[in-house]
Amino acid sequence: MTSLHSILSGGLQGYILVSLLLFLTGLGAVLGRRSILVQFMGVELMLNAANVALLAFARFRGGDAQGTVFYLFIIAVAACEAAVGLALVVGLYRHRQSTDTDRADALKQ
Amino acid sequence: MFILFALLTLAGAVALTFQRNLVVAGLCLVLSFMGVAGLFLLLANPVAAALQIIVYSGAIVVLLLFVIMLLNEHQEEPAQRSRPLQRWLSALLLAGLAAGAVRLVTGSAALRGLEGVPVPAAMNLDRLGQALFSDHLLAFEVVGLLLLAAMVGAVALVKRDL
Repeated sequence: MTSLHSILSGGLQGYILVSLLLFLTGLGAVLGRRSILVQFMGVELMLNAANVALLAFARFRGGDAQGTVFYLFIIAVAACEAAVGLALVVGLYRHRQSTDTDRADALKQ
Repeated sequence: MFILFALLTLAGAVALTFQRNLVVAGLCLVLSFMGVAGLFLLLANPVAAALQIIVYSGAIVVLLLFVIMLLNEHQEEPAQRSRPLQRWLSALLLAGLAAGAVRLVTGSAALRGLEGVPVPAAMNLDRLGQALFSDHLLAFEVVGLLLLAAMVGAVALVKRDL
């Protein structure tokens, strides 16, 4: 009972649960949808779930600045990933005239 | 407040997963990122919340919406084949992972041991800059180089004949 109260009032377990559920929803979007753009959004959601867990642990271990520094590096890498990933999506669309991943199941056309 | 932001985050994510229209799915992604930024505020970290809104809700989602509109793919096209087995297997995998993880988190004594920590002083740019430029200067420069390489790579991938 105390555990449920701590989750609902924003304890560490609550943040970790939100992070887990966010990760699983992102995984569901990657597994269940066919459009590569929605799959990309699912990957972004999973990355955000990792960020929530990282900063939750940083706060509950005393609010060190290192957690935020690592968060800064993570979003820099995420921005690179977004730019290169979307360039790849545009390249795929040029080759197949579609963003459906079922149509891109062979390496060669 | 925690419940509000947590529900905002998860509602945005679930709406994204079940949304047919890709532009609306992108806007659901913004909703989810805003909820995450609110969670960062509650974690006494306004710097991370501001970065979240600027980089994710600003830059990345705008780039994504540009690509969606550029490719003119507003709807997912109908499936060529229905794959019931894969669909059920992925649903089963997700349900199993969710059940196992929730049991692990709610039953963990180590996580409960960290509960009583008082709210630390809010993160500010002063402390972040001190840590960034004294302990992590090399990593900071490498990230700058990585951003440059990603920019050049993206241009090289999209350009038709280099």
